[in-house]
Amino acid sequence: MGYLLESLGTALGMIIHLNGEVLGAVGVSLATSLTATVFSTVGGVPLGAAVGVGTFPGRRIVLTLLNTLMALPTVVVGLLLFGLFSRQGPLGVLGLLFTPWAMIAGQTVLATPIIANYTLSAVTGADPRILPTALTLGAGRLRGTWQLLREVRFGVMAAIVAGFGRVIAEVGVAMMLGGNIRGYTRTMTTAIALETSKGEFAFGLALGMVLLSVALVINLFLNLMQQR
Amino acid sequence: MEYLLQLRNVVFQRDNFTLRVDTLDLQAGKRYLLTGPNGAGKSTLLQLLAQLLVPQQGELWFAGEPVTGPRQRRKLRHQITLVEQSPFLFNGTVYQNLAFGLRLRDVKGDLQRRRIERALAAVGLEDFESRHSDNLSGGEIQRVALARALVLRPRLLLLDEAGAGLDTEALPMFEQLVTDLSEKGVTVVLASHDQQQPRRLKATILPLCDGILAGPPGEKEDREDVPLPLKARA
Repeated sequence: MGYLLESLGTALGMIIHLNGEVLGAVGVSLATSLTATVFSTVGGVPLGAAVGVGTFPGRRIVLTLLNTLMALPTVVVGLLLFGLFSRQGPLGVLGLLFTPWAMIAGQTVLATPIIANYTLSAVTGADPRILPTALTLGAGRLRGTWQLLREVRFGVMAAIVAGFGRVIAEVGVAMMLGGNIRGYTRTMTTAIALETSKGEFAFGLALGMVLLSVALVINLFLNLMQQR
Repeated sequence: MEYLLQLRNVVFQRDNFTLRVDTLDLQAGKRYLLTGPNGAGKSTLLQLLAQLLVPQQGELWFAGEPVTGPRQRRKLRHQITLVEQSPFLFNGTVYQNLAFGLRLRDVKGDLQRRRIERALAAVGLEDFESRHSDNLSGGEIQRVALARALVLRPRLLLLDEAGAGLDTEALPMFEQLVTDLSEKGVTVVLASHDQQQPRRLKATILPLCDGILAGPPGEKEDREDVPLPLKARA
């Protein structure tokens, strides 16, 4: 118990004194996760909306696929993209492996189905009169769908936050595609895994506390969205 | 005789319901009253006329031009507006709701404001511009939806029981508005359960039963003694 309390004290000290190592990992985590969330939003929101309002052959298959991709294991994404980005891989010439961009690519793959699915739920759960109303006032389908998304904006924001929550907390993609390079691709999660294995429990705990705080803020925000 | 909208051998199917319209000719500047029991297909027919639904069979002409393809249907929706039985107002102010369709038609600035003021005045909601859509009563929502349609100056106005939510004071105003509009050349099709409305509006009756529109309305025009062929089921 004493060990835990002592580690907790050290961890709090690191956070309060803005430890450079801690800040570096937090910075990389936030930068990669936020960028991936932006890309996932650009892809996932229109995808979710299109599947939500569209009627096309194979819609059920797309729905099943999106649901399956929600539970995509991070290490599998890491593995597949590792194959793509590795020197012998088809995208090896880009030299992206073990860079933040490779991590962003992996995290984008992880977050897109989540954002698409949550957007889809928001769209299908919306008032069915929204789209016909927009159409009868002269909107095209695209403009009508945009109006629909505006009406369910809190649901869409919840989708984006859920996507961010998924990627900020993941470790598989960051480890496999980023390589856990100190000050470059070391994120909060990979740093926790590494430092704890090295016996630096307090350091891992400090990062864990920051990560929990981020998760707490995300959940508070999600609750706020759901209440509206 | 100028026809605004003509339908021939139109069939629309959804789930177990089939709507059939052999012949329907809507003249410019006339009032029509769509009658029939619940489930007869009045709302479906109005949505079809509003170009929100596409029939599986049949032909449709607007102002003498055949209507084919989604692009044409979309262009047509700039001339046809439907006010639903239970209209939806977008989240925002009354002004924003009325401005929605105008922005799509590139009507901006002072002209937009003037048209919105005039439309709101026409439905008796002069000071409602800044009211939020969440803070309106059922009757007010109905009137804002009507103003939102009027502001677009459609050639064909479709009203799905639009008078049903109005109180005894607002109803005569609504019916006068419908009469004034048709006198200005707007074709109005109104679905209603009010058995006295055809008489008051001097409208041509379009009787609909089990998804079948009973023949062309030509002979029944403007006759006050024509009884409603179908009584609303409880």
